[in-house]
Formats: sequence, C-alpha cells, structure tokens
Amino acid sequence: MTLAWTIARRELRGGLAGFRIFLACLALGVAAIAGVGLVRASIEQGLVEQGAILLGGDAQLEFTYRFATPEERAWIDARTARVSEVVDFRSMVRAGPAGQEDSALTQVKAVDDLYPLVGQVELDGAPDLAQAFAPKDGLPGGVLDKALADRLLLSVGDRFNLGTQQFHVGALLVREPDSATGGFSFGPRTLVRTSDLANSGLIGPGTLYETQYRLTLPPGADLQALEDSAEANFKDKGMRWADARRAAPGVENFVDRMGSFLVLVGLAGLAVGGIGVSAAVRAYLEGKTATIATLKTLGATGPLIFRIYLMQVAVLAAFGIALGLMLGVGVPVLFSGPIESALPFPADIAPYPQPLIEAAFYGFVTAFLFALWPLARVERVRAAALYRGDAGTRGWPAARHLVAIIALAGLLIGGAVWFSGLWKIALGSAGGILAALLVLALAASGLRRAARALARSRIMQGRTGLRLALASVGGPGPEARSVVLSLGLGLSVLAAVGQIDANLRAAIDRDLPARAPSFFFIDIQPDQIDRFRQRMQDDPAVSETESAPMLRGVITQINGRPAKEVAGEHWVVRGDRGLSYADELPEGTKLTAGEWWPKGYAGEPQISFAAEEAEEIGLKLGDTITVNVLGRDLTARITSFREVDFSNAGMGFVMVMDAAALQGAPHSWIATVYAEPEAEAQIARDIGRQMPNVTGISVKEAIGRVTEALSAIATATAWAAAATLVTGFAVLIGAAAAGERARVYEAAVLKVLGATRGRILASFALRAALMGAAAGLVAVVAGGIAGWAVMTFVMEVAYAFEPVSAIGIVLGGVLAVMLAGLLFALRPLAARPAQVLRSAE
Amino acid sequence: MTDPVLALSEARLTLAGNAGPVEILRGITLNVARGETLGLIGPSGSGKSSLLMLLGGLERATSGRVTALGQDLTAMDEDALARFRRGNMGVVFQSFHLIPTMTALENVAVPLELMGAADAFARAAAELDAVGLGARKDHYPAQMSGGEQQRVALARAAVPRPAILLADEPTGNLDGVNGTAIMELLFGLRDRHGATLVLVTHAPELADRCDRVIRLRDGMVEGETGSIARPAAGMQA
Repeated sequence: MTLAWTIARRELRGGLAGFRIFLACLALGVAAIAGVGLVRASIEQGLVEQGAILLGGDAQLEFTYRFATPEERAWIDARTARVSEVVDFRSMVRAGPAGQEDSALTQVKAVDDLYPLVGQVELDGAPDLAQAFAPKDGLPGGVLDKALADRLLLSVGDRFNLGTQQFHVGALLVREPDSATGGFSFGPRTLVRTSDLANSGLIGPGTLYETQYRLTLPPGADLQALEDSAEANFKDKGMRWADARRAAPGVENFVDRMGSFLVLVGLAGLAVGGIGVSAAVRAYLEGKTATIATLKTLGATGPLIFRIYLMQVAVLAAFGIALGLMLGVGVPVLFSGPIESALPFPADIAPYPQPLIEAAFYGFVTAFLFALWPLARVERVRAAALYRGDAGTRGWPAARHLVAIIALAGLLIGGAVWFSGLWKIALGSAGGILAALLVLALAASGLRRAARALARSRIMQGRTGLRLALASVGGPGPEARSVVLSLGLGLSVLAAVGQIDANLRAAIDRDLPARAPSFFFIDIQPDQIDRFRQRMQDDPAVSETESAPMLRGVITQINGRPAKEVAGEHWVVRGDRGLSYADELPEGTKLTAGEWWPKGYAGEPQISFAAEEAEEIGLKLGDTITVNVLGRDLTARITSFREVDFSNAGMGFVMVMDAAALQGAPHSWIATVYAEPEAEAQIARDIGRQMPNVTGISVKEAIGRVTEALSAIATATAWAAAATLVTGFAVLIGAAAAGERARVYEAAVLKVLGATRGRILASFALRAALMGAAAGLVAVVAGGIAGWAVMTFVMEVAYAFEPVSAIGIVLGGVLAVMLAGLLFALRPLAARPAQVLRSAE
Repeated sequence: MTDPVLALSEARLTLAGNAGPVEILRGITLNVARGETLGLIGPSGSGKSSLLMLLGGLERATSGRVTALGQDLTAMDEDALARFRRGNMGVVFQSFHLIPTMTALENVAVPLELMGAADAFARAAAELDAVGLGARKDHYPAQMSGGEQQRVALARAAVPRPAILLADEPTGNLDGVNGTAIMELLFGLRDRHGATLVLVTHAPELADRCDRVIRLRDGMVEGETGSIARPAAGMQA
C-alpha cells in the first residue's frame, strides 16, 4: 500500500489538467444533492424551532363541528393560564352595490381577544388586530387577505358581508404566524372576531366548522404527559391533538417527500456526472499508457498498477466532493435571506451535517462505480505497449472488479432507498436510470455502426460533408458514446418531467372540467334544501343537480381497535371525513358486495363503505366502524361496499349510513350543480343573496389553485432536472475538448486535400447534430416510458404522449451538442496544415 | 559448459495485423552466455526489437521456448514476468521512457522500491553520481536534454545490478557526442557489474564492441559473426 501511495503521489504532480471535467461533474452532482438536502433540513429545523408559533400555541385541541363543552373547557382551563379559541370554516365574502354584488370564497378564521397567543400578525392599515376589529359606524371590523381584497376591489374602510353580517375592512392581512398548519385551502383568509359572527347565521348546528383551543404552557412542560392525559380524557369525543413538537405534520410530510424526490432527481444528475468521470479516467489512463508500461518493465505487477491509479482517483474524488459540498452549502447560505423569505414556511438555513454526509456518500460511491471499469482494465496494460500502440486493454475487467462494480451499484441503490425512505420510488428511479443508461449505450453503439455503414455506402457519394461527419461519428474514440450517454440521460430526465407535467395538467385542466360540476355548495341548511333544488330546477342553464345530507366525523375505531392501528396512515383515518345518510340506494350507485338496507330501516346502524378504500384498509363485510360525530361515538356495521369515483370532483362519500342512524343529528346539505358556464355568475349571485350562509365553491377556481400548486412542484422538479443538464453539458464540453486535438489533425489533413473551412465547419456541425439528435430521440422514448409508468401506476390516470415538449427535447439536444462542438471548432479551423503535420511526426 | 544466461529455442512471434497475422520472428534458436555482449543488427522491420522484447519477457512468444537465468519465461504470466524482471533485468529504450512525473532520483529509485530495498534512494543517488548527473537528481525529465534523460535511463537499468542488460538502440535518438558518451557509459556498466548485455543497434561502432553480432532479416537469423565485417556462418533458422 505504501509503495502504491508513494508512486500515486508522484503521479499526481502531473497536475489536474486532465481532470477538470472529472472534478466539475462530481462537484455539480454533489452540490445539487447537498443543496436540496440542506434546504430540506433547514425547513425541518425551522418547523421544530418555530413549532409553537406555527401552531399558535404550545399545544392544541381541535374539534369538528362543535365548540368544547363546559366540562371540556374546564379541563383545558385547569391546565393552562392562557387559552385562545379559534373557529375555522369556509364561507363566501360578498361585496359591491346591490344587484352587482361579487362574491369570493374565503377561509374564515374567527378569533378571540387572546389571538395570537404566540407570534405576530402583520397587518397593513392598522397597527394591531384590536384596532382592525374595532367597530366603525356600528359595523365590526374584519381583516382580509390582500389577494381577496384585490379580487373584490376592496380597500381599508370598504364594506363586505359574511353571511348576514356586514363588516368594514379594518386592515389587510400581510402575514399570519400560524398559516402553515392550516394546510391547503381553497380561499384566501378572512380574520374576524368570533363574537362578531353571532348574527351572521354562519356558525350553527350542522354547519361545517372546526374549533381549535390553543394553550401556552410553562417552559419544560411535559407535552407527552399532557397529550396522554388529553387522549384519555377526550377519548371517543372526536378530539384531535397537536403540539409544538410536530406542529405542522402536513408541511413536514410534504417537505420530506418533495426533498426525497428532488434528491432522487439529483441522483440522475450524479449518474450523468459519473459518465463524465468514467470518460475522464479513461482519457487520463490512455495518456498514461507509456508510464504504466514502463512501470511494468521495471517490475510493477498489475494489481500494484491498479492500486496506484485507484488512489489517484480516490484523492481526486475527495477533492471534487469537497468542492461540491462547499458549493452545496455555500450557495444556500449565501442566499439564505432571499430563500427564507420566499418559502411559505420557516427555514433556518445552516450547514447541517446529515445532508452533507448523504451527498458525500453518493459522490464517493458514484465516483468509484464509474471509475472502476476503466481502472480495472489498466491491469492489462502490457509492457509491450511501449513498442506497440495496442496496450492490450480491450475486453471485460477481471471477475473481482465486476463483482466490486455490482456491489457498488447495490450500495448506491441501497443508500438511495435508505436515505429517501421512499423505497418504491427509489428503486423505480434507480431501475429507470440503469435502464436508460443501458438503452443509451446500445443507442450509441448502434449509432456508430449505422454511421460507419452509411459513410461507406454509395448513397454518400458526392455528399462529402455528410460522409465525413458520418465517418467521424462511426470512427474510433469514445466521443459519440460520451455525448449520447451524458446528454441523453439529462434529456431523458427532462423529457420524463415534461411528459408527466403535461399529462397531469391535461388531466386537471382539460379532462376534469369536462366531467366536473360548476359548483360545490356547502352549508345548505335542512330548511333551505327544497328552495335550493327548486331554484336549480327552474334554471334551464342547469343540466343536473345532485344533493346529499352531510356531516363530518372522525373514524376512531375499526372493529373496536384504534383506527390508526388498523389502517395506519391511510388518508381515510387522517382527520375528519364527510359522512352522509340515505334511506334508499342513491341513483347510479353500484354495489360491489353486500346488500343495501331496506327502505325505512331503523335497526342497528349500518354503513356502506367505498370499495377501493375498504380494500386498501383490509375491511370486510361485517366489520364495525366507530365514527365520532359532534362528540358522540357512533358504531355501525359494514353491510355493503360501493364503487366511488373521487376523480370526477363530484359528490362521493367514503361512508354512507342508514337514515335512522344520522337523521336526528344536526347537519347540513351539500349539492353539486352542473350548469352552462355563462350561467355560473348569476347562480352564484342568486344563492349569495337568497341564502347568504351557503358557501359556493367554484370548481374551476379550485382546479386553478391545484394547478398552481402542481406548477410550483413541476418547476422545482424541472430546476433539479436542469442541474442534470448542466452536468451533461459539462461532460459534452469535456468530450469536445478531448476530441479537439484529433480534429485539429483532421482539419489539417482535409485542408491539404482541398477542403475549405466552410466545408470542414459544416462537417463538424453535422457530426454534432447527428449525435445530439440520437441522444434527443432516445431521451424522448425514455421520457415517454417513464411518463407512462408514473401516470399509470402512481397517478392512476390515462397517459397520452405529449409531442410539443418532446420536439423541444430533441431540438435542445441537437443545439447543445452543436454549441459544445463549435466552441472547440475554432482551433481546428485556424490550424495551419504544415505546422500541424510537422509536429505530428 | 555453463548454462546460457539467455536461450531461445525455435521461438516464433506472430502478431495480429489489420490485414491478417504477421510473422515477426520465425523460429529463432539462440543462446547467450553469461557475461557475453551480443549485438543484434539488421534492416528496419527485421525483428531486432521484437527479439529483444522476447528476451526481456516484454513480449510473449507465440511458440517455442524462452529461458532466462534458467527460468522458462514462456510459462510465466504478465505479473510473474514483471516480478522476474525486478533485479534480474535492466532495459534501456531508444525513447528513454522515463516517468514524467518523477524526478531523476525517483525514476532511478523505482526498480529498487519495487524490490523492497530499504536504501533505494541512497543507491539511486550513487548511481546518478556514477553517470555524472548527481547535480540533476531533483530535476524532472522535461527539464533535461535527451542525452541526460538517457543517462538517467541507464542508471535506472543498472541500479539493481541486474544479471542481464537489454538495450534497444540506446543512441538512436541522440547526436554523435551524446551517443558516444552513452555508449561509454553502457559498456562501462557492463564491465563494472559483469552483466550480460544484448544490444540492438544500427551503429557499426557499437556493434564492433560486441563479443558476437547476430544479423536478422525477415524475422530469421541471417548470419552470426564476431563482427559485422565477416559474412554469416553457423546458426541459421
């Protein structure tokens, strides 16, 4: 080992000239992964540090559909000096002169005087909430989100209605401290005082609202003990607990998954970098053939030679990874201010060790994985290479090296699975990258063979420029393979992102509106439903109206066991669910198993459960479900399963009970209305005027907000894919630079034979275009397959090939290779034949 | 009669070319006695360098047998040949083949380091002094003239005190003055250490100093003589 290290150190004196691309490829890949990981860790740390602010208190008890009973409130008050009560619900804000009213969906937060217990609300137009809520001209004040105010053309001092209560705009909302824990909402925020809603008709039995009781606790309070006590005391009362230890689990899960996904995309970038690493190592070792042969002449064995150059690669890899880590840490830290401001949740950007360790691990394993093949063949360099050009390095590496390569690949994939925690996606991504590399390698080989054959064919007679380009692509040397592999993989990732994004948008923007209703109306009171149905029936522009009673409840037990124990993290048991009842089988409902209860049934409560979700949880006919509705547990037996399609944005309930079980409970109605687009505005105005407590959700606007969120995700993914492309471009530059000397010689000989510079340039450009087109075409196919797999197996939505982004990918590939090639065409074009040919002797 | 230091028995060398197999050496049988200086001459393409490579285990015979110091080189793999060359053979090339990232001292020390010698650098320094390059120990090949590089190569070949010295046109890339100097050094090394020397050369004055000269043509021994002036006699393939 010592001798190998001694000689390796001497060899490294040759400098890093041949390793710029090696270092760049490794550094870029490691930097991307480190950067993404660092931002994720920063957000996670921010969530931990500001848990109390995000939650609005040290702990929170939440109820659906009701306020805490006096006994429950007494329990809460006994455990804290300060409690703030918040009521959260959807409603419509209406504003404008009579007859020309406009309305908009809003998420209302009704608060008490103690809000916010922790953190500050930032307002524009009033110094604090007390001033913003202060009455003016007998009207209470309310705070509107700026986006909402802009939408309704409202300013501070203007008037608006919530239900039957009029307010004045006391201030505009700039920032609320607890917004991140609210999850995805369909409408911007309105803040009012709870007591000012007394006459609004909005909070009453059966209306959909949630109450949150936020507590501050003394420092060092035992949150776990308090949680256990609350769970015991509020058992079966439908209470949901949250505390500052995990204030925003939804955000946390999203950031964690998004971060893991982006790291996987970053791994594709590192794979592209690996191709650059392999090419650089191969080129370096080819240049060292004479040295290696000399060492063999002097008595160095193959394994010693291998160790010497392996150590050099290790030192350079360490250097490249260190560069990458510095970049991956430096950029986020340098731009920490703008990044932290831009994120909708808190982040504390600092150099956390875990993401750096992860990035370094990936960097090392990738470097050795891709360097090992050319390194292994170095053992075969024969001493006779000093006399003959053939170094004898062709063929497969020794078996032990192949085993090491396979082991390293396994380690990389295993690491990706372990670090990401998304084993299916990690394995799928790894499989996809390997498959893409294999296909690209085959494509490169096929391209060279085809180019060689075409160059010699009769078709090329008279087409000198094209023939020269084809002969060059098909000739010896690794350039074509490097270009197709590196650019192809980067383009494949981009193509996959493009296909998935286009198909998702199509599903949401195009397909869904064709089947989706115009409106979702909620909070229709039982004494309003007949009037509502009549209004829709009388409107010729309305093609269909569906309505159903609705309550909200939390599934607390399955077969007598805690629901989360049985169903894990399934979405059905997370939070409250919509629940309906029906006496008869609703029209169009298809049962997949069991039987519907007879009309007028009033026996033991029965449930009809959504078939797909039941299968996912493992429910059978005869199982019991306990649902907590308005603080009371209701246990019912599953007697049938139904087909429910949640993808059409229409009405669909996971659970429907027999009418006798729920009819007596306070509840409201929901309705979906299918109408012509031109009639929608009038319908919204009429309902807003006649039933101001009813909230109408425009499905189009809701789809718009979902599309916005998906766009942001697609943009983030595209940026991560762009890092892959940058690495691919670096490899392209390396390949072009490596081939420059050969092109200088080629150009000199061609000039002697009579070729003009224009013809030589055209030949170079054609060669670049051929390689870029090959890479682009393979990328489009790979991207299409990846897009189909994700849409079919992950999204479960139909897939259609999207041609526009595909054409863009191919053209982009051609342009990229041409740009890289032409950057290194200047010297060959300027070469003076006599000078070049004399120095070659 | 003592065993020959080097022996070939019907050694053939065939290499694959673009237009098919090419017979480089066609059944050479040859013995070299201990301490002998053997010159190999012949026109370009006659197989002189290839024969030298066979003798040094740098090339593997297609058929026949090659032995050195009683060891059958044709039965050894690449690593075994490399290990055998350590300390037993020194090779001097026309193009010097110094390792560019190592100083003169390090280049000379490498064979001793490969042998595991603890005093590699001390011996290397002494050998460089012996060839007149003691002051250039820390210089790299790129900082030296051709003559100086060849002297370093000579020192490297001689430092392990090998029993066999192989030199392939050692003065081929040097001018007259330097070539003469190298010649003197080479034969001086041979005299001092009693090595067996096999030398490929085009230079008549070098061939004249050999105990025996073998002329090759088309991969076969055309003639053997005490000097190049006398015609072929004796062993022919």
